[in-house]
Amino acid sequence: MSFLGQYIPLLDTVLLAVGFAFSQQVVLRAGVFSVATAGFAAIGSYCAAILVTRLEWHPLFAMAAACLFGALTGFLLAQPLARLRGIYQAIATLAFVQIVIAVTLFAEPITGGGLGINNIPKSVGTGTLAVAVLVTAYILHSVKQSGVGRAFDAIHQDETVAAVLGISIRKYQTLAFLISGCIAGAFGGLQALNTYSIAPTTFSFAFVIMVLGYIVVGGRRSVLGPVVGVAVLTLLPELSRFMAEWRPILTGATMILISTYLPLGLADTLIARLRMRRLSHAQPEGGHSVRTPS
Amino acid sequence: MWIFGGRSAPGDPSETCVGRIVAWMIAQQILNGLITGSVYALFALGFTLVFSVNRVLNLAHGAVFMSAALLSYYLVMIGTPFVIAAAVATVVAGGISMVVEFVALRRLRRFSPHVMEFAALVTTLGADIVLVSLAHKLTAAQTVRFPFGTFPNQFFLLFGLRISLLQIIIVLSVACMLSFLVFYLYRTSAGLRLRAVASSDRASLLLGINPNAVYAQTFFISGIMAGIAGVLIALSFNSINAHMGESYMLKTFVIIVLGGLGSVPGCVLAALFFGVAQTLCVAYLPPGSADIILYALLFGMLLVRPAGLMGNAANISVVGRNA
Repeated sequence: MSFLGQYIPLLDTVLLAVGFAFSQQVVLRAGVFSVATAGFAAIGSYCAAILVTRLEWHPLFAMAAACLFGALTGFLLAQPLARLRGIYQAIATLAFVQIVIAVTLFAEPITGGGLGINNIPKSVGTGTLAVAVLVTAYILHSVKQSGVGRAFDAIHQDETVAAVLGISIRKYQTLAFLISGCIAGAFGGLQALNTYSIAPTTFSFAFVIMVLGYIVVGGRRSVLGPVVGVAVLTLLPELSRFMAEWRPILTGATMILISTYLPLGLADTLIARLRMRRLSHAQPEGGHSVRTPS
Repeated sequence: MWIFGGRSAPGDPSETCVGRIVAWMIAQQILNGLITGSVYALFALGFTLVFSVNRVLNLAHGAVFMSAALLSYYLVMIGTPFVIAAAVATVVAGGISMVVEFVALRRLRRFSPHVMEFAALVTTLGADIVLVSLAHKLTAAQTVRFPFGTFPNQFFLLFGLRISLLQIIIVLSVACMLSFLVFYLYRTSAGLRLRAVASSDRASLLLGINPNAVYAQTFFISGIMAGIAGVLIALSFNSINAHMGESYMLKTFVIIVLGGLGSVPGCVLAALFFGVAQTLCVAYLPPGSADIILYALLFGMLLVRPAGLMGNAANISVVGRNA
C-alpha cells in the first residue's frame, strides 16, 4: 500500500487532467476551435474555493455552483463566438482566458490576487475524482451516440454540408460551449477542493497548451482519446525522470509530429484502423473506403 | 500626482495653468502611445501577412520575435557593434521563421483547408513551445539586459514634447518597413506572385508559380518584421526573457481583430489605436485593470462588427449562422 501511496498525488493530477481534456474535447468535436477550457476551469475553481473558504458552504453545493457557473460562462461566451469562424474562435477564447486571469489578479479582495486562495479544506479524494471522470465519460459517450453527437460530427466534418442538412450550427456550437464550460467548471472546482490552494498561474498559457496537447495526441472523437493523450503526455515524462528538463520541448515536438502524421490522434487512428480491418475482412473484394483525416 | 490634488476656485489664474499641464501630459502620453503602437504595427503586420497568404495563424510569431531580441543581446555581449548585431539578429529571425514554415506547415498543406486550419494552430503552437523552452534553458530562466550605453540615451523636444533618439529610430524604421512592404506587395513581380497565391494557390500553380517558394518568402518577410520589432522592443524596455513574445502575441490578436483579419491598413490603424489606448489605460486607470479593458475591446468588436474596421466580411464564417 505504501508503494501505491506515493503515486496517489500523481493519480489525482492524471484524473483532473483527463477531466479538463474531456472539456476540451467536447468543443473540438463540434468543430469549435475553443481553448476556453482554462478560463472555465479557473472560474469553477475560484467559485468553489471562495464559496468553501469565505462563505463556508458545504463542498457539495460549492461543486454544484462551480458546474453552474462554468456552464453559464460557456453559454455567454458562445453568444458572440458561435456566429464566427474557427480562427476567430481560437483568438477570442485565448483572449477570454487572459481576461479571466487578469480579473483574478485584479480583484484581490475576493480572489487573493497573485497569491491565490490557500488553506482550502481538502474534501475531494482520489475516489471522488475517479467517479467524476467515469460519470463524465459516460455522459460524453451517451452524447456521442445520440443525435447531438451526430450533429457535432456533421459540423466538424463540413459546416456547409451540415447547414444544408438543416443543422443549426449556432445552436449546436452554443451547446458544445455550454457542456465544455460545465465539465471544466466541475473539474476546476474538484481541483480546488483537492489541492488545498489555487493561484491564477495554475490556469495560464501553459494550461491551455497542455489541455490542447492531450486532445491532439489522444484524438478528438472517441471517449478514449483524452485518456490516451493524458497517459502519453503525463506519464511518459514522469516515468523517465531524466528527461524531465526537456519535457516542454518533447511536448512541442510531439504536438507537431502527431498533427502532421496522425491528424486523428493516437486513439482515433487506432480505432479507425481496427474498423477498416474489420470491414475489409467482412467483404474481401469490397471497394476501398476513402479515409480522410478530419 | 499633485496635479490632481487640489481643485482651485473657478476664475483662479492657476486653473488654466493646471489645465495646460494636464493637456501637455496627455499629449505626451499619446505621443508615446503612437510610438509603442507603431512597433505593435510592425509585429502585427508580419502576422497578418502570413495569415492573408497562408490562411493560418502563426502562433510561433512571438517566439521568432523573442529569438531576435535574445540573439541581438548575445551578439552585443560578445562584442559585436549594436547595428551589426541588430541586422544579423533580424536576418536570422527571418531564417527561423522559414524553418517554422518548413517544419510545422509544409506537410500540412495536403489536408483540406478546414483540417489544416486547426492542425496549423497546433503545430505552430508546438514550434512556439520548442523555441521558447530552448530560450528558457539558454537564459537559465533569467531576464537579461543590454549593457549600459549600448544605445545613446538622448532626448529632443518636438513641439514641446519629449522624444528620445530611440523613439525617433523606432518611428523611422517602422515607416521604412511599412513603405517597403507596400512597394513590395504592389509594385514588384514578386509581390504580384504573392498576391496571386494569396487569392488561390491552385490557380497560381497552374500559371507556373511555385506556391511553396512564395510561402517561404512570406515567412521570411514576416520573420524579419518580427525580428526588427523584437530588437526595438528589447532596446526600449531593456529586458529580454524567453516569455516576452507571449504578451505581444496576445496583444496582436486584439489588434488584428480590431483591424480586420488579413487587412494591412486596418492592422496599422488598429495597432496605433491600441498603442494609444494602452498607454492611456496604464497611465490613468488603477493598476491591473488595463489588460481587462484591452482584451474586452476584442469581445466588443466581435459583438458589434466581427469583420473588424477594414476586414472582409466573407472571412467571418463559412456559412451563415443566423439560424
